[in-house]
Parts: sequence; C-alpha cells; structure tokens
Amino acid sequence: MKRRVYLDHSATTPIDPRVVEAMLPYLTEKFGNPSSVHLFGQEARAAVDRARQLVAELIGAQPQELIFVSSGTEANNLAIRGIAERAAPYGRHIITSAIEHPSVRGVCQALEQRGWEVTRLPVGEDGLVRVEDVRAAIRPDTVLITIMLANNEIGTIQPIAEISHLVREERQRGHRHLWFHTDAVQAAGRMAINVAELGCDLLSLSGHKLYAPKGIGALYVRRGVQLAPQMLGGHQERDRRAGTEAVPLIVAFGKAAELARQELDARIERMRALRDRFERGVAERITDVVFNGHRERRLPHLSNISFRYIEGEGLLINLDLQGIAVSTGSACSSGTLEPSPVIRALGRDEELARGAVRFSLGKDTSEEDIDYVLEVLPQAVESLRRISPLYHRALGERAERSPSN
Amino acid sequence: MYSEIFKDHLTHPRNAGELADPSVVVEESNPICGDRLRLALRVCEGRIEEARFLAYGCPPTLVCGSIITEMIAGLSVQDAARLTRQDLLDKLGGLPSRKMHAAALAIETLRLALERLRGD
Repeated sequence: MKRRVYLDHSATTPIDPRVVEAMLPYLTEKFGNPSSVHLFGQEARAAVDRARQLVAELIGAQPQELIFVSSGTEANNLAIRGIAERAAPYGRHIITSAIEHPSVRGVCQALEQRGWEVTRLPVGEDGLVRVEDVRAAIRPDTVLITIMLANNEIGTIQPIAEISHLVREERQRGHRHLWFHTDAVQAAGRMAINVAELGCDLLSLSGHKLYAPKGIGALYVRRGVQLAPQMLGGHQERDRRAGTEAVPLIVAFGKAAELARQELDARIERMRALRDRFERGVAERITDVVFNGHRERRLPHLSNISFRYIEGEGLLINLDLQGIAVSTGSACSSGTLEPSPVIRALGRDEELARGAVRFSLGKDTSEEDIDYVLEVLPQAVESLRRISPLYHRALGERAERSPSN
Repeated sequence: MYSEIFKDHLTHPRNAGELADPSVVVEESNPICGDRLRLALRVCEGRIEEARFLAYGCPPTLVCGSIITEMIAGLSVQDAARLTRQDLLDKLGGLPSRKMHAAALAIETLRLALERLRGD
C-alpha cells in the first residue's frame, strides 16, 4: 500500500485515541443535561466543570474565565462582536492586522459595514506586526485590538505581551474602554500559553487543532471584562453563551488540553526537530525556494515555502496523488485568482504567493514520514517546473547571462 | 473531484516543452487569474506534425495543455480549428464548473496559433 503522510495539522488534527476514550461514556450512558438537577444532570455538570478546569490550566486561566463555544470561529465572533457591541458607546474603532484568520477578517468587515472603523496593520517581510504601528494606530475611540497569537499560514508568533503592555499604559492614561483580543487557535498545544504573561483580555481556542474533535472551542474572557452575548435564550456559560452544553465534546476538549499540557515540551521538541530537518532537506534538494515568515519567532510544527515558477495547487494535487496531504493559501476559481492575503502581506510578488505551500506537522509525524516527503517533493516540483513557461524563460535568461556555460 | 485521465495527465504530462523548429508559437494568459499556456506547433502541408505545450497555473490549465497537444497532433489545420471546448472537456472527463476557464484558455490559445499560422 502506498504510504500516506498527513502534513496538514494546521487545518485539523486526528482525534487522540485517549480523547475518544474519555468522551465515549458521554455519548452513551452519561447523556444528562448539565442544567438538570437530578443525578444524570449532575454527572454531566461535573464533567463539564472538570473539562473547564483542564482547558483553563492549559492557558493559565481561571475556569470561570472560559466560555465553551462551537469553534474557533465562534470564539472570534463572540470576542470581537461581543466587545464591539458592548463598547460601542465609547467608540467604534478596531485595530487588527493584515494577516488575521478569515473569521477575524470577516467579523471586522461586517462591523465596518455597520459603521465601525477598522485599521488593518501591515506586517513586515518576516510576518510580524510592529508594536510601534499598534501604538500609532490607537485613537481615543479605539475599543478593541485584535491580533492573532500565531499565524495559521506561516506560524509567526506576534509580540502579544508587548502589545498588552501598550494597552495597559493606555488604560493608565485614562483610556479605560480599550480591550485586547488574541486568536490563539493555531498556537494552543504548539507553544506554552499563559494568559497572565500574555496580558490579553480575550483569547480564542479551538479543540480540533489539538487532537479533540471538531465542533468545540473556547473563549477566555478575563474576569471583569463585559461582552454582549451573541447567542441568547439560556443561562448556560454564565449567561454569555446560551445553548445546552455539548458535553461529550467539552469532555474531549478537556482531555485533549490536559494531554497537550502534559506533553507540550516533548511535542514541541519533536515537531521542531522534524520541521527543521524537513526544511534543511528542501533547501538542499530544491532550488529557487523561499521560506516564508520569521525564522525563529514561529510555531514549531509549521513550514511555509514558496516554490518559484509553479503554482501551489498543482503541487498539492501532485503530492496528494502520492499520498501526501498539504495545503495552499491561494486558489484559482471561476478564472479569478484568490492569492493568499497572508503571503501577499509579506510583500512577496504574485508568483511567490501562488507558489506557496504549507506543510504542518503533528505530534505523531515520524522521521520516515519526513523522509518520504523529501523523496517525493523534489520530483513533484521538478515535473511541474518542466512544463512551466516561467521556468523555461528563467533558464533561457540564465543561459544568456552566462554564455560560457 | 478529478477524473483518472486528468490525474494521469497531471502526473505524466504529454508533449511538454518547446519545439526546435516550430511553425508557430503563441502564449496566452488568462488576464484575471494569470494562468498561462504556450503552444508550439510544427505544421507541414496543412497537417500538424507535432505540438508542444508549456503551462503555468492551476492543475486544469496544466492538464488542458497536455491533452490538447495529444488531440491535435496529426490533425489537419482545418480539423484542429473545429475543436471546441466541449471536445476538450469530453476528452478529459469533465471539469468542475469553477475550473472551466482552463478549457477556454486552451481552445483560445489553439485558435490564436492557427490564426497566426494562416496570417504568415
């Protein structure tokens, strides 16, 4: 059988068997509604409380500071809309970055259409937001800054603690209605997170990026921060998110968070070593590649590489046919190109944006997996380059520049 | 999502490259998405003896380039001019609707090459 290698853990992760085991009783005999007062309900309530504690421990928060939601996207929606609507009497200005996840970009855009003003900060070639740019963008009517902890396409880690410091300074100057949200969906389980050290007011999490099932996420809301609920009609989650709790998914998320915390250092070390080995292998075997994002300040599992002269989608399908799963940020549909806004924001030209491919490793990626990819990838790139007019042109130009060759 | 023929042409493109003595070479691009297709033909006594392609862009554009060279090799110029987008789609087992532009680009590039041939 052909080898199958999954290098798309930033899209989603497989569910850890220990997580499945933990959640199974709550899909079968322990089916109670946590709001019910009888024993069935109490059993479910206790499980939700325990899971909340475990997820809180992953980020150094208090359990009551967590709201369980259905996804990272919902967490981002609740954070941004919740703060924007609540703080509207004090101002309608939001600061964000040019490389946020679509769920943050989408909410900001929707608010813009409803009269809010949005400042989108650029990033440098390294993919980092400059703290000075944040400082310069703050206005008296700014109510929310939302900047991701780590980027989903290139993995760069933003200076969140420094931006929090700035926010605290602003508050001390009397700018009381200014809140700071960070999307940590990609970061959780791949770097140590402590909300006290980060200093943010709100932080988004998603279960399926850390070996829990899809359908569960959480929003950390620092004690004392008020936000307008987006889901109404029930007292669940301390009146901040109505709807019967997804007990099995919450239990799964709790277990996954517990494992992530216990195994974090080992996972990071393993993924980083394999990722670095992969990148060294690519640099040795393939010419005309550009590694995207800051070299050090980035998540340990992710590598984003632009291959000149070819398009990422062709490479993706070519690799897929050989059992390797990766992803691209850009896609061509209906004859219009949707280039990755993240790679474009780094100042890369369109060819490099189209040729960008994301390889994201997981805790169980093996050396053999990486070796197989290093064996297949150069051939796949070469076969696409052989049919690329851009490549032939570049070869011709090179030959002209060095006629002796 | 894609047919077996499609996958085969993507992994084993036919007639890729350039011709040493082409009768005509044209390169067309989709101005919106930037996909490119270059066709080189060698024509002798009204018949396409050899066709080569180079392509840049999404997989359907690469595959359409490969397939069209196979379809036109050996055809008379008149018969080649009669090829339609549908002929190409039938040959490659269809395309998702959002990728139809790839077949359009291939047919357009072929037409342009044949027009230029007539003009010479």
